[in-house]
Amino acid sequence: MTFYETKIKHIKNNCFSNDKQIQTVIGIKNYIDNNYEFDLNLDFLSHIKFISKYHMLRLFKKYYGLTPRQYLIDKRIDKSKEHLTNGISVTETCYAVGFESLGSFSTLFKTRTGKSPIDFQKKSNFQEVR
Amino acid sequence: MKVTLISIPVRDQEKALKFYTEKLGFLKKKDAPLGGGNRWLTLVSPEWQDGPELLLEPAPNHFEPCKVFQDALMEAGFPYTQFDVDDVDAEYDRLVKLGVEFSVKPTEMGTAKFAVFNDTCGNNIQIVEML
Repeated sequence: MTFYETKIKHIKNNCFSNDKQIQTVIGIKNYIDNNYEFDLNLDFLSHIKFISKYHMLRLFKKYYGLTPRQYLIDKRIDKSKEHLTNGISVTETCYAVGFESLGSFSTLFKTRTGKSPIDFQKKSNFQEVR
Repeated sequence: MKVTLISIPVRDQEKALKFYTEKLGFLKKKDAPLGGGNRWLTLVSPEWQDGPELLLEPAPNHFEPCKVFQDALMEAGFPYTQFDVDDVDAEYDRLVKLGVEFSVKPTEMGTAKFAVFNDTCGNNIQIVEML
């Protein structure tokens, strides 16, 4: 066993030994992956796994390093990039990935990617033509 | 400030270019001569071509401490860096068929699955899938 494998084993025993908790948060993450376009909130996510809202929030943050809300937003932004690259309009993309307001989608998209959705789409079209 | 570059030390840039493009599947982005046979050589992911570039840097050939550090990481089995993949098992099978040697087979740890392979240029590289 290498030094690295010894260290990994140590971390696994110290931080990742509670398999029930891990399976719960993986289940929540998978649920977000498959339902990101719907109106998801903490109450609903905790309800499907039969745990309290704050316990779920703490567990998710402990194992993934970010909150379910942050993960959901990242997922929606990733998916919106795919839609925009595939030529789907900004308005259609906004609603298809689960945002309810075009204004907040555009602002959030620009904050996360550095470009507005329309500029992002123009650039990806330009790269394809090249 | 923006994060746009990740540097990987390699002993032979041409050999590294072949391994990272032909086996791992990266695309060459920049290739400019720097004198003495050295190049500014960067790669990108095919699915994220405007994402961060991977610099194949010949530092171990020119700066002894870099070589010592690289050798120590290799000896201890530590990955120099890691890349995200969608499916560690599938990528492991694909790379093994291409003759890539793994020091750690696909292993689950908490909410991640990972494996570690030898890039033949002096480094262990880890691939990771978020579960």
